[in-house]
Amino acid sequence: MDLVWLGAFLLGVMLLFLAGGVWIAMTLAIVGWIGQAFFTTTLPGKNLFSAFWESSASWELAALPLFIWMGEILFRTKLSEQMFGGLAPWLERVPGRLMHTTILGCGVFGSVSGSSAATCATIAKVALPELKRRGYDEQMALGSLATAGTLGILIPPSITMVVYAVAADASIIRIFLAGFLPGLLLMVLFSGYIAWWSLRHPERVPAADEHLPFLQKIKRSGSLIPVTLLIVFIVWVLLAGWATATECAAFGVLGSLAIAASSRMLSWKNFWEGLTSATRVSCMIMFILAGAAFLTKTMAFTGIPRELADWVNGLGLSPYMLIAVLTVLYLVLGTALDGISMIVLTSAVVLPMVQKAGFDLVWFGIFIILLVEIAEVTPPVGFNLFVLQNLTGKDSNVIARAALPFFGCLVLCIGLITVFPQIVTWLPDAVMGVSK
Amino acid sequence: MRRFLDTLYAAAGALAALCVLAIFLLMLVGSLGRELGWRVGIVNDLVAWLCAAAAFLAMAQAFRNGDFVRVTLLLERMPPNIRRGFEILSLAVAALGIGYLAWWAARFTYESWQFNEMPTGLLVVPMWIPQMSFVVGALLFFVAVIDELVQVLRGHKPTYVRLVEERHARGDFSEDM
Repeated sequence: MDLVWLGAFLLGVMLLFLAGGVWIAMTLAIVGWIGQAFFTTTLPGKNLFSAFWESSASWELAALPLFIWMGEILFRTKLSEQMFGGLAPWLERVPGRLMHTTILGCGVFGSVSGSSAATCATIAKVALPELKRRGYDEQMALGSLATAGTLGILIPPSITMVVYAVAADASIIRIFLAGFLPGLLLMVLFSGYIAWWSLRHPERVPAADEHLPFLQKIKRSGSLIPVTLLIVFIVWVLLAGWATATECAAFGVLGSLAIAASSRMLSWKNFWEGLTSATRVSCMIMFILAGAAFLTKTMAFTGIPRELADWVNGLGLSPYMLIAVLTVLYLVLGTALDGISMIVLTSAVVLPMVQKAGFDLVWFGIFIILLVEIAEVTPPVGFNLFVLQNLTGKDSNVIARAALPFFGCLVLCIGLITVFPQIVTWLPDAVMGVSK
Repeated sequence: MRRFLDTLYAAAGALAALCVLAIFLLMLVGSLGRELGWRVGIVNDLVAWLCAAAAFLAMAQAFRNGDFVRVTLLLERMPPNIRRGFEILSLAVAALGIGYLAWWAARFTYESWQFNEMPTGLLVVPMWIPQMSFVVGALLFFVAVIDELVQVLRGHKPTYVRLVEERHARGDFSEDM
């Protein structure tokens, strides 16, 4: 029980530093240092060096800067305009019409980008003015954009998934594969809600634009062919097991460069800006991972996670109860932390607990990703709300209220994958064989 | 001095970006090479070291650019003078922490040079060479933190706050995860 108190003490110190505004990666390392210096007999300096070096000099982690770069390249192209123009003609007869471009656009962009803020900003920049001009309901558009933007981290490739895989020491490809079906399910839920809403409020859905013959539609969508090819390529590489995650990322970058070049949006300036920006973002994430690696060492030396896992196990919670408690925990954390920090911060302690309770780590990864998505659309620090606030000038609380029904879809999705975990595990098991 | 430091941070950042570019090219060559039956084990070691170098060398610039995440929930609700106090406190903590990190990076790399430590992989290069990226990156990061601390003590707005505000005002969210 002493160890649990030590854990509580370290947690207290961590919260104090975090609340005061100390950078998250440093806070993790400092707390790790306190734990090692005062409660173990190891040399913290030596462990600090090896934790930072080993966590950063990793061949697997090299996928991270490349996947980020891929998104950065596409962010700097005309992809979002092309997407709107290419998707719109097909949606005129669906209830809700062009409103679905937000969901489909985010889904498609999410499958080439690994960040939800970038997905939300990219699609919103084009879709919002277009929808507004045609007289679509702004509330619905804002809500669906805020929430569908989070598909960026659920549909592979996903930066958050790479981070989780590294933190949980799980296969990146397995977790990527696990994200496909829940991502599709979520899109169906979002679009289903839009269709249902539109059928109930037909007066608030503007009439269709001119009706195009089939061939004309195909022609309009021609600009979508390159990105479709890129997505098919990435999915195929992942399914066929032909390349490692890092190689897949490198080919993704190559494909994105080709798309940017073919749409004449690839200048040296764009290229360099995308590259340096991707380098900085991946540096930020790797710094957090390094800090967390050091904290994880402290945890291993003190034995806190094992003790805590035993303690939680001793409480005799049913698995569903444990998941319910963790859901509340992550929702609370999500009000102040970004998704990546949230995952890295908790992995050392929560993962052993979850594993002991008999949950699959791949399933748990998708579960956490969905909770991170929720955190991104809930005030006070939902990041997608902040993105849309900046783009539209509307208050983030107004946007949060608009996102509420879609928020409900996210909760429903979490419920569905908890009751039917096969939604998550079926695809990776079918492709890569059942694990363990 | 100001210009010299800014150039230094930018140069290290550019070098880090070149490391990412090198990872990209090496991965392409490596996967093609594997199909052709080359032995590409060396590529993997090299990529791991480049990955570390990309992270360490970019730290100073990423820090100044406001890419490092922190909890701003409370900071943003504080009156400016109290917020300034907390910024100074955070920077002081950061200076201590990063100073400690830089010291140990240097000390260990020095030892690895002294004992001529060799890696276990296929690429036989003394370990201190790739580890130098850690030393240089951490030292530069330390300089950048001290730099910011001095700026804020002089009454300026922290660079990492200013640059993020400028970026968001332009509608650029590409660096926010």
